[in-house]
Amino acid sequence: MYAVEIRGLSKSYKTKKLRTVEALKGLSLDIEQGEVFGFLGPNGAGKSTTIKCLMGLIRPTAGAASILGCDIASPQARRQVGYLPENPAFYDYLSAEEYLRFVGKMFDMSPEDAARRVQEVLNLLELWEPRKRLIRTYSKGMVQRLGLAQVLIHDPEVYILDEPMSGLDPLGRALVKEIILDLKKRRKCVFFSTHITDDVEKVCDRVAVINKGDLLAVDRVENILERGVEGYDVTAASADGQVQELFVHKEELPSFLKQTLDQKLAIEKIEPRRKNMEAFFLELVAR
Amino acid sequence: MTSIIQITLKGIFRDRVFQGIMALAVLFLFIPSAASLSMRQVVETSITLSLSLISFILLLLSVFLGATSLWKDMERRYTFSVISLPVSRSSYLLGRFFGLALFLVITAAVLAVAALLAIKFAVLMYPPDRPVLWGALVLALLFATLKYILLVGVALLLSTVSTSFFLPIFGTICAFLASGITQQVYEYVHMPASANAVSPFLKSAATVLYYLLPNLAGFDLNVNAIYGIQPNPNGLMITLGYFLAYTSILLGAAALLFDRREMQ
Repeated sequence: MYAVEIRGLSKSYKTKKLRTVEALKGLSLDIEQGEVFGFLGPNGAGKSTTIKCLMGLIRPTAGAASILGCDIASPQARRQVGYLPENPAFYDYLSAEEYLRFVGKMFDMSPEDAARRVQEVLNLLELWEPRKRLIRTYSKGMVQRLGLAQVLIHDPEVYILDEPMSGLDPLGRALVKEIILDLKKRRKCVFFSTHITDDVEKVCDRVAVINKGDLLAVDRVENILERGVEGYDVTAASADGQVQELFVHKEELPSFLKQTLDQKLAIEKIEPRRKNMEAFFLELVAR
Repeated sequence: MTSIIQITLKGIFRDRVFQGIMALAVLFLFIPSAASLSMRQVVETSITLSLSLISFILLLLSVFLGATSLWKDMERRYTFSVISLPVSRSSYLLGRFFGLALFLVITAAVLAVAALLAIKFAVLMYPPDRPVLWGALVLALLFATLKYILLVGVALLLSTVSTSFFLPIFGTICAFLASGITQQVYEYVHMPASANAVSPFLKSAATVLYYLLPNLAGFDLNVNAIYGIQPNPNGLMITLGYFLAYTSILLGAAALLFDRREMQ
């Protein structure tokens, strides 16, 4: 059973001028339990549309999807899910503590469990001090961190995060990456959308690239990075101690190594020079 | 659903609109002295003023809170975080409705205590010729509360299809204004004397509107309370049945529409 299974999901809208816009065109994806899956695409690519379909916020025009085997049309499908919306907003007349207790209740947590978890997640996200302040007094970054807290409170199996790093400062972003990596260690499934390639490179096992509603590619991050190797930066020292820095093309490496042996050059360092995720992404989107 | 009801109540009690409207309750303090200006029928005037003030406060609360509750949740994107929890949309909507209804009941009870004290004071100061029927007074307050709970249902139904607050607020006000006269209009167009004056189309339109719009005339027991007339138990039962049936239909339709609504 997949953590998230999407089969031919499509979504089209009618604009005010009655024009049909296809926001999502027959998307199919399988995401395993224990996998961190990045959903990469430019603005308006269909990332949030996919996530909203999964969370029952909008109805797909065609196709089906399930979370841990439960059809997304049922509220039960969301029982094992922690969802962070893009630019989240929470009842601003409540305090963070009150809101998290409310979320805990909605997931049928006992008051004792909820109280314990509220303390844990608020501490983790550095919101313990202002926990009694009304949410309306929070900064954007604090609201985003509260969003992550409400995702973690019931310790679900699947995490669906729409732009989780948005609105966070570098410290906050680092914290989120740390949390995602910790979830990965605990064999949780994390499905998150982003348009920041660096985030994907750092934390994801696999990535899907989507643009204008079409799925362009799905692959393991390590494969993409490996395929992206263009050549090697080599630091070599000659017999008289002279150090040279050279660039060797990928296909020329064996002959270069043979040559260095012949010339009695000592290789001090070889580093692959590769296209990063951003180059891969830009190349795909530009096609 | 109980969690949604609790959240709804907490939200209203912390809402400045509620606090502002409830400030009107201070007017109860002036009712005995205002009623004494009538010279005669001081108690009757006190009852009239008290019931009218309660009715006005409940109307403001039901229109503004009923019409903005769901709309605000969608406008401020709270629905994204709440509807994505393991709760069905109909449970969420019903939680909102029952939260608002419970709030109206609590408010009406508090206002009723203030009103009864004001009336009791007037009774002690100016003993009336007719005894005050306290039971009829309580019934009048109870049915007024039911009337405004039904109006909250109208406001929620309109909120489920609207993208702005105009339709829920003004639609509810229009429904309230129309609800007081539909009975008279219906009786007028069906009188033999108006057969020539009213076109068949108008007659049909008035009949459709009569059945479609809420008929709140039956909820008004003010005359019974003011003049000490026992209400007709059969009439009360019919009104109660009408309240249950009409509110259920409103909520059913609202749940159906809200279930189909796309959260963009």
